[in-house]
Amino acid sequence: MLDSGKLLLAVKDLRTYFFTEEGIAKAVDGVDFEVYEGETLGIVGESACGKSVTAFSIMKLLDYPGKTVGGEVIFKGENLLEKSEEEMRRIRGKEIAMIFQEPMTALNPILTVGFQISEALMAHFKMSKEEARDRSIELLKKVGIPLPEQRVNEYPYQLSGGMRQRVMIAMALSCDPSLLIADEPTTALDVTIQAQILDLMRSLLQGFKGALIMITHDLGVIAEIADRIAVMYAGKVVEYTDKRTIFYYPLHPYTFGLLTSIPRLDLELPRLNAIPGVVPDPLHFPAGCKFNPRCRFVTERCKEEEPSLVKVEEGHSVRCWNVERVSKEAKEGLLVGEV
Amino acid sequence: MTEALLQVKNLVKFFPIKRGVFRKTVGWIKAVDDISFEVYKGETVGLVGESGCGKTTTALTILRLEEPLKGQIIFEGKDLSKIKKSEMRKERKNMQIIFQDPYSSLDPRMKVKDIIAEGMLTHNLFKNTRERYKRVGELLERVGIPAEYMDRFSHEFSGGQRQRIGIARALALEPKIIMCDEAVSALDVSIRSQIINLLKDLQEEYNLTYLFIAHDLSVIKYISDRVIVMYLGKIIEIADKREFFSNTLHPYAQALISAVPVPNPDYKKERIILSGDVPSPADPPAGCRFHPRCAKARKICAEVEPELKEVKEGHFCACHFCAE
Repeated sequence: MLDSGKLLLAVKDLRTYFFTEEGIAKAVDGVDFEVYEGETLGIVGESACGKSVTAFSIMKLLDYPGKTVGGEVIFKGENLLEKSEEEMRRIRGKEIAMIFQEPMTALNPILTVGFQISEALMAHFKMSKEEARDRSIELLKKVGIPLPEQRVNEYPYQLSGGMRQRVMIAMALSCDPSLLIADEPTTALDVTIQAQILDLMRSLLQGFKGALIMITHDLGVIAEIADRIAVMYAGKVVEYTDKRTIFYYPLHPYTFGLLTSIPRLDLELPRLNAIPGVVPDPLHFPAGCKFNPRCRFVTERCKEEEPSLVKVEEGHSVRCWNVERVSKEAKEGLLVGEV
Repeated sequence: MTEALLQVKNLVKFFPIKRGVFRKTVGWIKAVDDISFEVYKGETVGLVGESGCGKTTTALTILRLEEPLKGQIIFEGKDLSKIKKSEMRKERKNMQIIFQDPYSSLDPRMKVKDIIAEGMLTHNLFKNTRERYKRVGELLERVGIPAEYMDRFSHEFSGGQRQRIGIARALALEPKIIMCDEAVSALDVSIRSQIINLLKDLQEEYNLTYLFIAHDLSVIKYISDRVIVMYLGKIIEIADKREFFSNTLHPYAQALISAVPVPNPDYKKERIILSGDVPSPADPPAGCRFHPRCAKARKICAEVEPELKEVKEGHFCACHFCAE
């Protein structure tokens, strides 16, 4: 499945900083990944690792004090960072669409669901009101909303959280985009509703020629939906490879730490292997490798010199000086058994 | 079996829905509707369910931070549901709570040492301020925060550290039971495991009993000895952890477990996708509250509410067909 499609998006050394009164917060500071047609890239990381800012940077949706200061976002061969606002407006929604975490705040509370879906259709395809409305009903049906003819006239507050997220998905799919970015689309939902939405997304992906970027903090969600995974920490991609490799042969101490620190439904764990310390503040990142104060593989070199994202084998890149030591321990210490 | 530290019997808590100029009560939110369970000394009981199932209200009602409408709360043989508020305040020394949101549960205008010492002062635990603060320092060190930080304010700490402060505050009164209300839900993955490990260590050290409320079944599985599942104000299943996860009986509990995304690319399971949303607790369905979403529902489910029956020793289930 991997590398089967054409290269759709290549993000190269993306840097987005926030120029705040307290200093420069390097929210995204060196993000590289590629997305191919037909695949799902999972971006995983904890709060403030820069995963959402990466998405907003690709869409060029950042306002002051946030600014993309470096790198390239090559979408279908063209660098989006060089596009004007006018050109971006033609791309957003039509070529690249986004699903946000909190559907209640992402939807406009004073406009009907139907209007909000129609808006993009009328803007991008010059559809008439009636055509757009019919298409909206079709889309609502496609995302599994019962009685779409009735729902199309309702307001977001009349819908449950799960329904709202379905509306968001309908909106995102309305113009048949080639890239869909979903930013924690199920985080605010209950587990059973999350399962419904993931199920819906999986079934929609079946007939989808484009690609999906799934941003989440939940390794379980990633294991279910992603083909390839980028693990982010402190504004950087620290490990980038396919799903099986991430779960079975992680080479970055942070990935390894995350995998052994989560309580598991499929395993009996004696004790959680907690990563010590706290997630660093983007205003005060440590020198050297950003993970070094929390890393148990740390050496003097890690404190002084920042490693770059290096390809260690085909399709597996890691940002760490101690790959060999981590690899050895991960082979012994990882509890991912065949179930 | 060891003795029950806490017995909840037929506990009911409804919230009025008020409308109009005269705030007339037009209905009731049936947050907790006739639930009974026991918590034994030294164990961790995991209380799990989705939003609106009544799990938080259960904890607040046990502490009488919300007044129960009906039912008994028997703690160490004493019924707390009838005693005066001033007496209840004394009882709360033995029953503490850790809240979900470490941001809103700590007073931003108080120094950390005063947040932790407040309960000690109320209960006259120490002779003077110096001794109290000395104890605060010990507690902070125990939960992993340097004692010299006690003069700081809560906003100077990260989410994980604040949750540690919340734990120190709960420990300050040397309680017998602590209600952990989604105590790790708001935390990042790497921080969450630190707090879970801390709670486990403290339990051993102080012989604590936990009522651990969470929506995350992976956490529940890791930390609990027994599991209670709630749905729309009712308990639908109670069992020993191992029994619960290996022999889940209630269709809702089965769906809940199958819905959890597992961080293992080779984990194969049959996923039960529930249709629809959780109905409103103001107007729960007749009969079994789960029947409109249940794949196994039959005629009787819409008519008769199933009772929580003991199917096997220690395994209770509220489903007409769970014995099949």
